[in-house]
Amino acid sequence: MPNGIRYPNVDSLYNLTMKEMSQIITIELNGEQQPLPPDSSVNDLLSIIGSDGKSLAVVVNDSIIRPNNRSTHQLHQGDRVELLIFAGGG
Amino acid sequence: MRALPEWLTDNRDTAALAAMLSPASSRSLETLAAESRAITLRRFGRTMALYAPLYLSNYCSSGCIYCGFASDRQTPRHRLEPDEIRRELAAMKKIGISDILLLTGERTVAADFDYLQRSVAIAAEEMPRVSVEAFPMSVSEYRALADCGCTGITIYQETYNSERYEALHRWGPKKDFIDRIETPERALDGGIKSVGLGILLGLSDPVEDTLSLYRHVRHLGRTWWRAGLSVSFPRMRPQTGGYEPPFPVDDHLLARIIFAFRIALPDTELVLSTRESATFRDGMAGLGITRMSVESKTTVGGYSVSDSKNSREKRDEGQFEISDNRTAREFCAALRNQNIEPVFKNWEPSYNGPSARINYEREVDRSASTITPETETCH
Amino acid sequence: MDVLKLGSYTFSSRLILGTGKFSNSTVMLDAVRASGAQLVTVALRRFNRQQAEDDLFGPLSTIEGITLMPNTSGASTAAEAVRAAHIARELSGSPFIKVEIHPNPQHLMPDPIETFEAARILAKEGFLVMPYIAADPVLAKRLEEIGCASVMPLGSAIGSGQGLATSEMLNIIIRESTIPVIVDAGLRSPSEAAHAMEMGCEAVLVNSAVAAAGHPPEMAEAFAEAVAAGRKAFRAGLMEKSGFAVATSPLTFLGTF
Repeated sequence: MPNGIRYPNVDSLYNLTMKEMSQIITIELNGEQQPLPPDSSVNDLLSIIGSDGKSLAVVVNDSIIRPNNRSTHQLHQGDRVELLIFAGGG
Repeated sequence: MRALPEWLTDNRDTAALAAMLSPASSRSLETLAAESRAITLRRFGRTMALYAPLYLSNYCSSGCIYCGFASDRQTPRHRLEPDEIRRELAAMKKIGISDILLLTGERTVAADFDYLQRSVAIAAEEMPRVSVEAFPMSVSEYRALADCGCTGITIYQETYNSERYEALHRWGPKKDFIDRIETPERALDGGIKSVGLGILLGLSDPVEDTLSLYRHVRHLGRTWWRAGLSVSFPRMRPQTGGYEPPFPVDDHLLARIIFAFRIALPDTELVLSTRESATFRDGMAGLGITRMSVESKTTVGGYSVSDSKNSREKRDEGQFEISDNRTAREFCAALRNQNIEPVFKNWEPSYNGPSARINYEREVDRSASTITPETETCH
Repeated sequence: MDVLKLGSYTFSSRLILGTGKFSNSTVMLDAVRASGAQLVTVALRRFNRQQAEDDLFGPLSTIEGITLMPNTSGASTAAEAVRAAHIARELSGSPFIKVEIHPNPQHLMPDPIETFEAARILAKEGFLVMPYIAADPVLAKRLEEIGCASVMPLGSAIGSGQGLATSEMLNIIIRESTIPVIVDAGLRSPSEAAHAMEMGCEAVLVNSAVAAAGHPPEMAEAFAEAVAAGRKAFRAGLMEKSGFAVATSPLTFLGTF
């Protein structure tokens, strides 16, 4: 993988047109690079990674994106996205 | 009348003290004394802090039935003027005193706040530590006193039984039970560093009053947790007016109260004045008491007149009769005889001034979150 | 009714259970049920596609009467803890936040200065702040002053199982506090939890002692019973300690009775 960049989920990119391919953006998802089709919303990202978005907190560039805004909140090149859940802890 | 404070009837942690005070206690006075002595030695070492009272004025506006300075007593009234105060201070310094308690009666025109404040300022020039036992004041008045160098106040509730209190305080501002009980809180809010509490033993049921006094100490200690707290156990002494205490407290009960208090409050300063006999004071030194008055005069101007062999002291009657009449030198010798070190200076005036109030708002919000929820996040 | 009061919330159970370090979530959920705990701590973690079963929110929310108390573990500064608290509240809807800030991942000792700072900010924002602290009586009072819902001093180091190594300090904190004192961390056996309750703690928080037990659900139940017994004993009032040894009679000055 060039420049240490990992594309953990490229399946969703297979049916893009050439034009769309050229417009692919890269965001930082939980500290790793994640390519996304252009004009992707938070919900698009969630479906790409196979999450229903329930019991999941979404933080984009230090702003919490609530569930009812996830379909309209567009992601941009270089956005830092954190997806957080509750796990065991004391 | 406003409601009594909640803490006054809070039995949350009085069980252990109540058990020690009970006549049916399984613990003998000797076992209490041994534990009290061990705690005192551990916490305070072999030392005794010494102070002396300075009566500034015996004018009074209240009619406390038990007091030699009540406004209906025929005793002559005086107030010390600045040069007289300086003379008294000089006489006290000569016997080694550096920690003084300034006293007045309840607020009067003759001895009002301005007079008291001026007197504190004069005393603070001469003495490292100045405390005040006067009338209840406002928060801002206490702050002004602290600014002048007053570090502590003493304000006895006398009795925590509000019905007895009502009967004993026949007239005057001291009749207001609630106002008096809230006074220590105002003093601490005003930046006074330490507060002395007490009951006048003999006025009301001593065990009941002791438990209430303990609740008061705990309440203040929990809420004003930076405050220094001390507790006195004055017993009614014969005084002008001849009031007979209806609940006399004998030596054994007083000793039990002191030991139990020391065990229940290991860190609190416990005070015993010259009201008590030389024998009792010597006996209690090291067993629980950590602060005592010495060579006290309870008359206005008593130190310099006895110094100059003036006759006014003979003519005047004090607030109460002194029982331990020893000089400071004699008393210190008695303490040293018991391997206890008398401590005259226990405070450095460079620490004077109102106690710091921490202003949390002033601190920089350096770690305020960078996260801005889109909308109100409270569910 | 003897209940644990935290802010405007009341709980009949005085055992708070942590959900970390269990072998799997089935055992953990069984332990939560067995403990009767009504407050349960959880931690924030990054979502991991490969381990979707990690999410505890769904399973825990199926247990009736549970309020989540998210913690800020992983934070090593006040800013990180405040950020974690905001996200946690978004996710849980719970006003409770256990402020836990340990800059050193080895011993996990709480940073008092960052903890105070985070607690101050979060309390002002309306959180019910439950700070995990060293057993420091002055810090406890400072946290009380800024509006924390409780203080949670450690009995001994997290996961150490050293019990109430800090009992002298805990006694002072309990004696002086006007908010609930909850012992958090270090307990190993139910008897230690009972002892903490007898001392006057309002609740105990246990995690490793249950998660690392031979049979966690059974141990959870044992802790619940110990906590209830200790509380009952505290309320009943322990008998006076037996007398002090007397070497000599120091009271001759009082004369005879």
